[in-house]
Amino acid sequence: MNRKSLILLISFITLLFFQIFVFNNMNIFGFINPMIYLVFLVIYDFDSDQTLFILVCFLLGFSTDFFSQSGGAHTISTLTVSFLRPILIRNSYGVTSEVPVNFKADTRKINKYTFISLILILHHLIYFSVVFFSLSAIYLIIKNTFLTFIFSLILNVMVLNFYRKSDDS
Amino acid sequence: MQRIINALIQYRNPILYFFLLSCSILFLSKKSKYHKTQLETYGMYATKELYNLNYELLNYFNLKKKNEELLKENRKLKELHFKSNSLALYPNAFGEKKRFPFKLKEANVIKNSFLNQRNNLIIDKGSVDGIKNEMGVISKNGIIGIVNSVSKNYSRVISILNQEIKINVRLKKNNALGSMYWKGLNPLEFKIEDVINNVSFKKGDTIISGGMSSYFPYGIPLGEVVDFESNSQNGYYTINARLFEDPSLVNYVYILANEDKEEIKQLQENFKNE
Repeated sequence: MNRKSLILLISFITLLFFQIFVFNNMNIFGFINPMIYLVFLVIYDFDSDQTLFILVCFLLGFSTDFFSQSGGAHTISTLTVSFLRPILIRNSYGVTSEVPVNFKADTRKINKYTFISLILILHHLIYFSVVFFSLSAIYLIIKNTFLTFIFSLILNVMVLNFYRKSDDS
Repeated sequence: MQRIINALIQYRNPILYFFLLSCSILFLSKKSKYHKTQLETYGMYATKELYNLNYELLNYFNLKKKNEELLKENRKLKELHFKSNSLALYPNAFGEKKRFPFKLKEANVIKNSFLNQRNNLIIDKGSVDGIKNEMGVISKNGIIGIVNSVSKNYSRVISILNQEIKINVRLKKNNALGSMYWKGLNPLEFKIEDVINNVSFKKGDTIISGGMSSYFPYGIPLGEVVDFESNSQNGYYTINARLFEDPSLVNYVYILANEDKEEIKQLQENFKNE
């Protein structure tokens, strides 16, 4: 097991732990629970094997669901985002320009924030759609998506600062 | 086999994704009552649409059969209708069976014309189905013609769009008799002669079949009076009439079989011979 995998494993467990025991109980304004475990989807290497990535993300979502007693919303949204991540990468970094090896290896701020925002918005949209699961709740879905997205973005950017650039070893 | 495996390997990510997605939806429906009902609602909607589609398709392919069934049912109703209309002409004293001597058979028109002066139809029933010469042919809204020659499976019908045929008619209001024939151009426009001058009627009055021939029963509605003029020289009206239904556009017809025709013919011949 090399260093990279070890870091991923530790991130996986730590993020999961904080998500379940801290951020799922935050209830900002009564209903906002920021999702921090999506950092995992951001820091995972861009050029790695996608099959493994999908499996790992399924496991991540499933564990979150399992420990927070929610139905399957985390699983479905995380799985979908992991499946669509190559498209998101292409859209945020551009097709023609060089795509970095991983998130920390690049310094272009706008592309980075676009990438995080795309992942978060897509995830939250799917997550709340599954949670409410009704067309008549479309206003609630959009409201929750937007507000949770703001807090998730702040927290995710903060957490991403803990990772050093030299992690690409 | 190799190709299948190659394809599986090539598309492993989408396959894996959809497999895991269906697993998670399964968990979701197992775990949450709300999502289960909601999913079932959507499923029900989809099934309903599918069944609806299936039903409509089947219905479309069954239309021909349905049509035939309806035609048969119609024939029965028509027979009853004529029966009740004709009671006035066939009084009760005759007894139940004799009161209405007509039986109906249905047929499809396979050839029709209206461009000639003497038009013919061909129908798809023949001697096998019990069609004989000189049977009357009607449609749902009027008289079509008289059977003229019969082969095994088909019959030829002289259309009433034929200037040589005169049909015995009455005015429904006052039962005045007359005879109607085609003018020769528009399939709807007919002329009625021999209506006696001392009856009164107006435009729009209904014309019905007269019941004085052995071809058609009394009381089939045919058309209405368009205009008329009184001919003071011979004491008869000349009436322009318009049919309810264009005989050249008819697809389904009913053939009237008069069970008493032979008897009537016999009587007429006896009369001639004397």
